[in-house]
Amino acid sequence: MSLNITSIAGKFYGYIPFGDIVLYVTEFSAISFIVAIFFTLVVYFTKPEKQLESQIGGFDTLNYVSLEELKIRRLMAILCGICTAFAMLTGDLFNYALFLALIGITNIGIVAAVKKEWVLNAAYYYGLIAMISTLPLFGGAALILAKTGTLSILELAKKPYDLLFQKILYAAGVVGETGVAPFYAAKAEMFRAPGAPYILMIHLSSLLIVIRTAEILLTI
Amino acid sequence: MDIGRLWNYISRPEIVPRLFALFLCIIMIVEFFVPTTYNEDQLYPKYPPQSQVLKSSLAPYDRGGEPLKTPADIKTQYPQFEPLRGRITAYLTPPAIWISHKTLYFGTTIVSTPGGILDEILYYTRGLDTILESLTLLVSFMIFSWLYLHRERVE
Repeated sequence: MSLNITSIAGKFYGYIPFGDIVLYVTEFSAISFIVAIFFTLVVYFTKPEKQLESQIGGFDTLNYVSLEELKIRRLMAILCGICTAFAMLTGDLFNYALFLALIGITNIGIVAAVKKEWVLNAAYYYGLIAMISTLPLFGGAALILAKTGTLSILELAKKPYDLLFQKILYAAGVVGETGVAPFYAAKAEMFRAPGAPYILMIHLSSLLIVIRTAEILLTI
Repeated sequence: MDIGRLWNYISRPEIVPRLFALFLCIIMIVEFFVPTTYNEDQLYPKYPPQSQVLKSSLAPYDRGGEPLKTPADIKTQYPQFEPLRGRITAYLTPPAIWISHKTLYFGTTIVSTPGGILDEILYYTRGLDTILESLTLLVSFMIFSWLYLHRERVE
């Protein structure tokens, strides 16, 4: 049998089977995988930046990330990067949804370690959205399974199915799970909080996930 | 209506979950009325509800076969990647064997999951899913325990 698919993702290079869940490598997913792994390495080797906050009529204060906060945020950022990298390769809708759930949790972890009121507030509301959106995400995958009888993207790509509303539900789930994460990072003024490279992982993972979701939804 | 006030309204973090939930409600109400079909040729078939009750002690999860001896007939997407398909279905740990001899409702007790029955679908054909599920749980415990241990540190 052949595992070849014709899609917008470019040339098909090969596959990595884990039972029914088959990871596959195309031009698109290989490039995204390398980008995600590269930025994970950047996060691992970079020291967090310090910030000098100048104040009117007072002494300037130096904001820095303490070692224990650095450790948990770096761990979460690295987990987020690895999950993003493998979400680029996965060939199964349910598996992809689980990777998204894990990325959502790690995003909350990156944000929640900052002990500042407005940051924790934003992390809380982001957590609410991530919890709400598990329903459309897994529900969309379940409806696709019910209608087509399979979850594998490689199998779904072989036949044309009419999956418009299931895809809308799935996309809404993706938007809630990781798509709104940069909004909350920006709202929380995380750029003003110290610790530069970790917060960028949220944006990078969200960007790559949105592109990969578009590719999946156009393929199946 | 000043559009600037609208932008300011939706820019507050506590408003976004409400807007998202409303958006989701609209999508799901529309979707409820869209006709859809059910494919009978399912990848992971389930027995009809209640069809195994009081016949087997593994009631909802009895997929047939004898563990490590005779393989059960398991339907999978890519049989060529699963050479040991059907062999570990319903493999029981020694305490689970003891309980399953005592009661016919073993499959629905808390003992049967996660360690009691090694389910073929969960642990072999879709093993990566199970790894990710437990990893999600572990990561959320990590975040919680870090926040709990550092609860005294306030800025």
